[in-house]
Amino acid sequence: MSQLSRMFLGANSRDGLWTVPLIVALACCAGLAFSTAEFASSQNILNLIAQAAPLILVSIGQMIVILVRGLDLSVGSVVSLTTGILSLNVPVYVSVPAVMLAAVAIGLLNGISVTTFRVHPIIATLSMMGIVQGVTMFVRPSAGGTVPPEILALVSGRLFGIYMPVIWVIVAILVAWKVVHGSRFGLHLFAIGGGETAGTFGIAEQRNVLAAYVLSSCFAAVAGIFLAGRIVSGDPNIGTQYAVDSITAVALGGTQLAGGIGSLHGTVIGCALLAIIANGMNLLNVSAFIQTIVKGLILLAVISLQPRKTIGL
Amino acid sequence: MKRLSNLSRVALRIPPSYIVFAVLLVTLWVMRPNLIDVAILGTFARQVVPLGIVVLGQLLVISSRSIDLSAGGVILLVNYLISSGLLYDWPVCLIILLCLGVGLSVGLANGLLVGKRRASAVIVTLALNIILIGLVEYLANGKPPGDVPKYFRELYNLRFWSLPAPVIFWIALAGLMSAFLGRSVFGRFVWSIGSNPISAHFSGVPVERTVVLAHTICGLMSAVAALVQTSSIAVGSVRFGPELVMNSIAATILGGVVFGRPALVWGPFVGVLCFALLFVVMTTMGVQEPRKLIAQGLIILLAAIFYGVRSKSNS
Amino acid sequence: MTMQPLVQMTSVSKSFGGIAALENVDFQLLPGSVHALTGENGAGKSTLMKILAGVVQPDGGMIRKNGQIVCFASPREALDAGVSTVFQEHSLLPNLSIAENMFLGKEPVTKFGVTDRVRMEREVKQVLYGLGLKLDPATLVGNLSIAERQFVEIARGISARADVVILDEPTAALNAADVEVLNTQIQSLKKQQKAVVYISHRMEEIFKVCDTITVLKDGRNVDTVPVSSIRPKQLIGMMVGRELSELFPPRPDQTRGEVVLSIDGLRLTAEATPCSIVLRRGEIVALAGLEGQGQRELVRSLVGEYVPHGGKVAVRGREFAFPLSEERGIREMQALGLGFVPEDRKLEGLFLDLSLAHNLTIGLHSRHFELKPAAAHREVIANSMKSLSIKAARPSLPVNALSGGNQQKVLLGRYLALGADILIIEEPTRGVDVGAKAEIYKLLRDYANAGGSVVVLSRETLELIGLCDRLYVIHDKHVVAEMPAKSATEHAILEAALHG
Repeated sequence: MSQLSRMFLGANSRDGLWTVPLIVALACCAGLAFSTAEFASSQNILNLIAQAAPLILVSIGQMIVILVRGLDLSVGSVVSLTTGILSLNVPVYVSVPAVMLAAVAIGLLNGISVTTFRVHPIIATLSMMGIVQGVTMFVRPSAGGTVPPEILALVSGRLFGIYMPVIWVIVAILVAWKVVHGSRFGLHLFAIGGGETAGTFGIAEQRNVLAAYVLSSCFAAVAGIFLAGRIVSGDPNIGTQYAVDSITAVALGGTQLAGGIGSLHGTVIGCALLAIIANGMNLLNVSAFIQTIVKGLILLAVISLQPRKTIGL
Repeated sequence: MKRLSNLSRVALRIPPSYIVFAVLLVTLWVMRPNLIDVAILGTFARQVVPLGIVVLGQLLVISSRSIDLSAGGVILLVNYLISSGLLYDWPVCLIILLCLGVGLSVGLANGLLVGKRRASAVIVTLALNIILIGLVEYLANGKPPGDVPKYFRELYNLRFWSLPAPVIFWIALAGLMSAFLGRSVFGRFVWSIGSNPISAHFSGVPVERTVVLAHTICGLMSAVAALVQTSSIAVGSVRFGPELVMNSIAATILGGVVFGRPALVWGPFVGVLCFALLFVVMTTMGVQEPRKLIAQGLIILLAAIFYGVRSKSNS
Repeated sequence: MTMQPLVQMTSVSKSFGGIAALENVDFQLLPGSVHALTGENGAGKSTLMKILAGVVQPDGGMIRKNGQIVCFASPREALDAGVSTVFQEHSLLPNLSIAENMFLGKEPVTKFGVTDRVRMEREVKQVLYGLGLKLDPATLVGNLSIAERQFVEIARGISARADVVILDEPTAALNAADVEVLNTQIQSLKKQQKAVVYISHRMEEIFKVCDTITVLKDGRNVDTVPVSSIRPKQLIGMMVGRELSELFPPRPDQTRGEVVLSIDGLRLTAEATPCSIVLRRGEIVALAGLEGQGQRELVRSLVGEYVPHGGKVAVRGREFAFPLSEERGIREMQALGLGFVPEDRKLEGLFLDLSLAHNLTIGLHSRHFELKPAAAHREVIANSMKSLSIKAARPSLPVNALSGGNQQKVLLGRYLALGADILIIEEPTRGVDVGAKAEIYKLLRDYANAGGSVVVLSRETLELIGLCDRLYVIHDKHVVAEMPAKSATEHAILEAALHG
């Protein structure tokens, strides 16, 4: 527990430091609301939420894996693969199950490599990223295709007067809360990340870690479904940014890459902050490429502030 | 019985790349014997020279239990600097020095963040990669890349005794790296950290400094690779896939350099040649681009699993 | 009326790597007893209890619980059978709360499937209050002090509703007030007809709290007696009394050389008494005493591996204040001619898959700047192999092909090749056969005769008595006694340790 987080959060929290990014996010909102008229408009806020939704979904999965001291670099290509599969001209009751099945398979492969074969999570998920990306290029070599109308209906319009993207975010957060903070499984994830002795308490480390990787791929797939509905096509490159962005958002939200410390609300705040910065830079007409540079710098800054003993990987 | 176990111990020590290379060569010879010719193979080898040079740096870094995912960004930036005409009236030597300086600085930044701040190598190098790509795209937006100066292209097409100049350059560089690693104190430090970083610490090895230096040299190698790569294309571009970095890791692991093994140059060298052969074999078999990516990912995974299984049985 | 024993261990044996830790040991626990298990370093008490706790499997013998033959393949199984253990190495997870740790793996859930925090914290609060601890069960263990963590470990053992509770050095980090609370709880367990195994070296506690004592020595039973029937001095007599073997080279008569190393006012923890140690040229000095009393922390402070609370050290006249930096500690000391030989050659000392030559010369290489060519040091290697009698076909062999004794010599050889004239050695002959032991002792004695100085740590007190010129006895993180080795005996050392 770092001194900083203890100062802000008290002695009973393993959430990690999320109060600082929250303050920064609020400050950005305030600043943007003053400097541009459009920021606070309902249209823009909705846009913002729609932009943040896939990131939130992917980041939730990434956080779950990071909690058990892992990392999932393949999430980006899972997102791309999902949009690719959904853009094939097949009925929705075939493509959606196919997508989820693929996600589970990918998660299992990642998890088995890491737990049974003791491959380093980075190597395992990096190579899986290549494999999945290759399959994606095979399925959908260039952007296009048609997405089933059921998906389109799920991501646009309103339900009970609330905009669909907002509902997606709310549902995602509720589900994630249950998994991470409201179940024994979630507690065991923290335990596994917290030390080597979890196994002596009778916790099945391997099985839980395997489940974490499967969940990560599944959340990425759900993000892909949402994206497919938004861009109304399949795009093999749409998911690439999410690998690093999700890690940035998770780390920004206070989750430690060393495992065992983190929170769902922190991750959501991290995603929100990234989305607000991106949205703000768009409104201020900052070049998209400068935005990339800024994101990279943010990541570097956040990473440098997380203490670690090991050197290297 | 003892002889058999000794034999298997020796066999396990041969880097997988040698075996894969042999298999691929035989496959090619069976399928298209007319391709087995120095000039033709030389041309194929030339295509992987940038990869080969990046691998020379990557093996240093992986051997020190770190990793470098920023080579792509360095290559893009160097590519842009040369082809954009920004440095139109600079003398050649200065351009080359500047590019090498870029590589060195990126490597140094990586090294300091990983070695001194102890940040995760994956994230640091990935972040720097993104920054570099963003920088290039931003610059390219203002001043798009143009033609690569002719003398680069001419150098690229030189041949000596039917072997392309870049290939000879690469072999020489690999030889230099091998000699450097084998003979210098730095090489000893890298081997030590790769074998056991705690023992290295207790022996008085300056672990942090070594990691910084490994990353710096790796950055330099990326810049050198970039120079070769730039000379192979006529026009600068801003697109770059993740393949180069993935391949560099694959070739290194295939070459027997894993986290925790001493750095060897020729294993990964042959590993890169494997990729050249793999491209040839796959093209001959009519395998398209996406499957190549799948194959590369599979190779890394299987090689890593093989090592994982190996180290499990040894312990 | 004979009570059926809760636990009956018969003829239990266990070897580690060919060395016997336990040989045909019997042990019996009656309900309602507080049973002390004691013995010198390496007597086998930890191993015996690790077998009972399911951490380690015995090679031979039988365990009966409540009359039934049992075999615990894991700590979980032992716990489920009613044997709970509190080991010295803390197993609590720092990022979980006290309540979460205590219920880990067996959390109660509400009807929504959510972990029932309220119920967990309520039950844990009861247990903690029963122990006199006013800790909030929602506190993260990582935020507790070491003493508080120990108490939670004990509470976990007690609250698991086991009928056998094993306590391994439970009071190591407790102050007097906490010890009283613990004792009250132990007495209440006794009233409930449970059995408590109390592994400890603290005479006062054994005689105050326990009713039976079992003494082990060198992996064998010595005796089991009621506490009321003996006195501390007799107890010590049961624990020691081995013959000094012929392994050790003769000690020269003391010629007092100048001081090469002096530690002054070193406090290992905030509450520890400051210690001072002096090392003279040509001496071999030991840090003796029972395990885990601070010897390791003391020497590791010298190279920045441990952070003490104040004090200073002078190496050859150059003064340093503690703490020393971790990155540079070892290198700076090496530059001054001090070589630190770590305890575990496999994990922290050698490069197992690299060549003998590399392992020998890496210390020398570390002196130089990275870009310089690495000297082959062929002469040094040849000389080292000869003078240390390292038996290997050629220097390019990987070190893991050598025997334990030869490996240890290679490790020592690295620091000798450096030309270090002060050596700090943790465990010079761990896992080394008798023949190699004798060679290493002679090596060290010759080294000292030639003007080198050595500080030695070892769990084998006899080794220290035989090899060294002078002994410091460390207990409870400070120096309690100093004596010349010539007149030292195991008994005297142990007595100094336990009464200091």
